[in-house]
Amino acid sequence: MSAADFSNLLIAALLLAGVYAAMSVGMTIIYGVMKIVNLAHAGFLMLGAYFVYELYERGGIDPLLGTLLAFPAFLLAGIGLHRTLIRRLPVSDQPTLASLLLLFGLWLVLQNLGYLIWGNADRAILTPRTLSVLQLGPLTIPTVRLVVFAGAVASLGALELVLHRTWFGRAVRALMQNRDAGRLAGIDVERTARVAFGLGIAFTGAAGGMLAMLYSFSPDFGAPFLLRAFVIIVLGGLESFAGVAAGALILALLETFSIQVLPASYQPVIAFSLLVVALVVLPGGIAGLWARRRRWA
Amino acid sequence: MTVAERGGGPAAGRRRSRSTAAGIAAAGAPWLLGAALAAVPLLGPGPNTIRLLFGTLVWVTTSVAWNLLGGFGGQVSFGFAVFYGLGAYAAAVALNSGLDPVSSCLLAAAVAVLASLLIGLPTFRLKGPYFAIATIGVSEAVRVVMTNVAATGGASGYRVMERGPFHQLQHYYSALALAAGAVGVSILLRRSRLGLALVAVREDEEAAADLGVNPLRTKLLAHAVAAALTGAAGGLHARYAAYVNPQGEFAFAISVAILLMPIIGGVGRIWGPVVGACIYGLVHDEIVAAFPELHLLIYGSLLILIVLFEPAGVVGLLDRWWRALGRRGRMRAAAAP
Repeated sequence: MSAADFSNLLIAALLLAGVYAAMSVGMTIIYGVMKIVNLAHAGFLMLGAYFVYELYERGGIDPLLGTLLAFPAFLLAGIGLHRTLIRRLPVSDQPTLASLLLLFGLWLVLQNLGYLIWGNADRAILTPRTLSVLQLGPLTIPTVRLVVFAGAVASLGALELVLHRTWFGRAVRALMQNRDAGRLAGIDVERTARVAFGLGIAFTGAAGGMLAMLYSFSPDFGAPFLLRAFVIIVLGGLESFAGVAAGALILALLETFSIQVLPASYQPVIAFSLLVVALVVLPGGIAGLWARRRRWA
Repeated sequence: MTVAERGGGPAAGRRRSRSTAAGIAAAGAPWLLGAALAAVPLLGPGPNTIRLLFGTLVWVTTSVAWNLLGGFGGQVSFGFAVFYGLGAYAAAVALNSGLDPVSSCLLAAAVAVLASLLIGLPTFRLKGPYFAIATIGVSEAVRVVMTNVAATGGASGYRVMERGPFHQLQHYYSALALAAGAVGVSILLRRSRLGLALVAVREDEEAAADLGVNPLRTKLLAHAVAAALTGAAGGLHARYAAYVNPQGEFAFAISVAILLMPIIGGVGRIWGPVVGACIYGLVHDEIVAAFPELHLLIYGSLLILIVLFEPAGVVGLLDRWWRALGRRGRMRAAAAP
């Protein structure tokens, strides 16, 4: 592998990691606050993709703007969903049978609603940006990937601001650390959970829009990304936002460089093997590794 | 977890207080059901009816198997298609290399047990959602690998060439025997030390560990037993269909079906999964024929509704009606004099 090839792959991995982080962060918020694994993650990624697609095809709205519009739309959808279904689940400190089954059922419903509305044909969003390339000496960077990466980083930055500068953000972080202590400190758990669920869905929907600019999609779209998102948040220690970024980078690097040795069709196997390795070697995720280091020091 | 315990405790107490006649009837019903199913071929049904019953019995086996781990142990698996598919492929290869049907099925079960250990060992050591999510990925990964394995025909599938004529009834009785065996295992396991340990782990893993239960070993054992039954069921199906392919045997829809049946019937009970599988097996073809594009939508909505409103499934619903009827009867008797 020449130095230029290596740099190109490295850049591709970095750009991919940004999207992966944006895609997984919604799952972390929901898991952290409510201890619910959002198995309907794939369904919302798919809906986000079609949301941006429809805005572009019908209204001529640029996919980037469409992704931005997906935030409020999916925030409301998530809050509505929490009010109607999620609220009825028993509160627990670990994922329950009921929560897993409920969200799994929701995924089946969303996926098949997708089939009902859009059929099973693959769609793609094609803009003038899609095929243009930025040439920097020996380096080639697809413009659309760069743009999507910028969008992903911007959304993660906004989330960081919300979590550290607002009362709601502090409440979210408190609930992630200890629900009972948070309740004692006067946090309205139900309301915070509702908004946090909405926020998680909003990020997932918007990430679906970002992914739709990079890949073609069908109602079956999100399934491989569900496992990827989960591997990333496990690597990140389930409840840490910095961990999500590190996990996304690891998975993106592995997937990008494995193209050299493995056929592309084996990519789902990579995510799964990484999950198994992570569970055996670092059960607390990367954040857990840090904590252990600090204790030893 | 409250889904299953709702019926378990009080039901046991009620059973003791029931009159002996009802007790004998309850104990005799399964034998009666088995005898009736064994006698079905005497009525001279068409091959299509036998096919439907065969399929339903295979589903009963997988549904009861899922319930061992998911119902008693509270460990949700979205990937039982892995065991079903690996069992089907193992049996297909064994039959083609000249092994007799019984040994082929045993081999199918053994291969599935091996797979269950590979999935369970890394994921069961930790509390939390790891196992459930890993099972979503594992069927995806195995399907990809099987699509690329040239020895078993890759994506185009693998044909089973068994010598001798095709006896549909032989297939039917083998499925009946396996389903009865699965129910027997379920009953014995529920009463055994392992079954109690499983329920203890489901209710509170740390408390169970404090009482000397090894959660990892308990979950692994239940997973292995469930995998063996599911693998054998896959093997029976492969022998009957005489053809296996990755898109069919490892389909996500198979995992969904295996999980849906015990939920419909009543998760965590002995007869819930049997009832659920019977309903699913007999109705599924009709639903697919009537709503070819909607059936997974229907199943998804059903799952949501059951989880929210009737977590104990059909059996739980019947149980509640039965109890309400009994209460009304007692009240009328008390009001009469």
